[in-house]
Amino acid sequence: MNWAAYVENGKPFDDVYIFDVHGHIGGDIRLQLGNHSADDMVNTLDRLGVNSICVSPILAFASDWVRGNELALDAVKKHPGRIYAYATPNPFYEDCDLSRYLVPGNGILGIKAHGEYQAGTPLCDRRFDPAYEIADQKRLPVLFHAWTARQVAEGMDVASRFPNANFIFAHVGFTEADAKAGVIAGAKKYDNVYIDTAISSSYDGTIEYLVNRVGDEKVLYGSDCSFFDCCHTLGKLALSRLSDTQKEKILGQNAKKLFAI
Amino acid sequence: MLRFVDAKCMIGRRNAPREGSPVTREDFLEIMDRCHIEKAMAHHAMAVEYDMMDGNHTLVEETAGSDRFLRQWCVMPKTFDEFLTPAELVTEMKKKAVKSVRLQPKTSAYSLYPYAIGKLMEAMAECRVPVFMDAGESTWDGIWQLCTDYPHNTIVITSPGYRCARQLAPVLAACPNLRVGISNYVVHGGIATICRHFGAERLLFESGMPVSSAAAAVSLVHYADISREEKELIAAGNLESLLSEVTL
Repeated sequence: MNWAAYVENGKPFDDVYIFDVHGHIGGDIRLQLGNHSADDMVNTLDRLGVNSICVSPILAFASDWVRGNELALDAVKKHPGRIYAYATPNPFYEDCDLSRYLVPGNGILGIKAHGEYQAGTPLCDRRFDPAYEIADQKRLPVLFHAWTARQVAEGMDVASRFPNANFIFAHVGFTEADAKAGVIAGAKKYDNVYIDTAISSSYDGTIEYLVNRVGDEKVLYGSDCSFFDCCHTLGKLALSRLSDTQKEKILGQNAKKLFAI
Repeated sequence: MLRFVDAKCMIGRRNAPREGSPVTREDFLEIMDRCHIEKAMAHHAMAVEYDMMDGNHTLVEETAGSDRFLRQWCVMPKTFDEFLTPAELVTEMKKKAVKSVRLQPKTSAYSLYPYAIGKLMEAMAECRVPVFMDAGESTWDGIWQLCTDYPHNTIVITSPGYRCARQLAPVLAACPNLRVGISNYVVHGGIATICRHFGAERLLFESGMPVSSAAAAVSLVHYADISREEKELIAAGNLESLLSEVTL
């Protein structure tokens, strides 16, 4: 496949299956995100040729977990097959029960844990366990916001305790050398640890570097749209030195298996 | 095919390169070829990490014989016996075919106020040399001050980051002499939004190599929801237009 031709012509990648494991809907008080509605998300997917995206609503982990998860459900119902979602727990609410969202067939495919926005709660805080237990029982993916070495270590602790759930470490740990090393070591050690590609600024060669160390079946395409424009990570992957097969696995084939789509 | 001329690239052996990132000239050229970047305006890592003129001279050595790299020098005001006077700098830049400069006030601990760099900026304005600076070397208030203090200089802010949209917009509105590089301006729909509000003339394609991805940066332009003409301006036209005005 002539990946460069797609990028150079601004062409949607309609000839390859793409599932973006890391997206968001809704705004963020801390910064301007551009148009961040579910409808705009689908326009973006169409423009880039992305089949589907799994989103967590920023509202759910930044403010109101109930309204946020309901927003996710609404987005999924409005755009079935294009937008999927993660259910997002809040460790400060004892009545936070995600089981009503994680119903087979309703498009909520897993769990997003983002303790950093929740007063810096560690990912391994036991108050997150009820959510992890559901993921473990149902063999669901859990997407971790794992930026720092500390967050990576917390996440690995969880992955070791819940071996039937699959844990995707977002942002690749490329902000700190220790975080990156931790993610790579964990992905090699644990069968249920994966890495996504969502990061705002990393150099050419990062994805190749990861694949060389953890293999092409442990890396999943994630854009962090609509924090970021989808196209920049998609373009970086398309123009990378990976083989066609590796690109196809990372862009969507790995996610198809992991998310049982 | 869109032509790309990169407005920000730092070459040279540097202190702590991340594994897998480009280091040698061949590494950079390989990425440029892969992304169809015709030329890159480069400054040298040594000028940022160690000594400005040593680094600037090393840039000249390492880009000799190559038409793929345009030269950019890191600069500061002459202080005591350090660095060059503005007149000396202009002479050297002319000799060495250097057509743009880069400020690094935070890295090199100097002020951007007129009492400190006024004469330097005046010399650059006289020769129409564009002045570059990373957003992280100041604050957005400081960038506004810089643009306001030196209205006759074209100021190009590079690596603005994706969190700055609310700060960037009013500075773009207030300062017609401001231009912005796009390497890590990955705000969702961000390029199209700036084009709509301020015009494509305000944006310059930059890869931000070796820290940022050239492939990601070209993709931001290729997939931006803007016209072909706007893409051409951003990809190469705006930078080439700035450099064509330099009288050195």
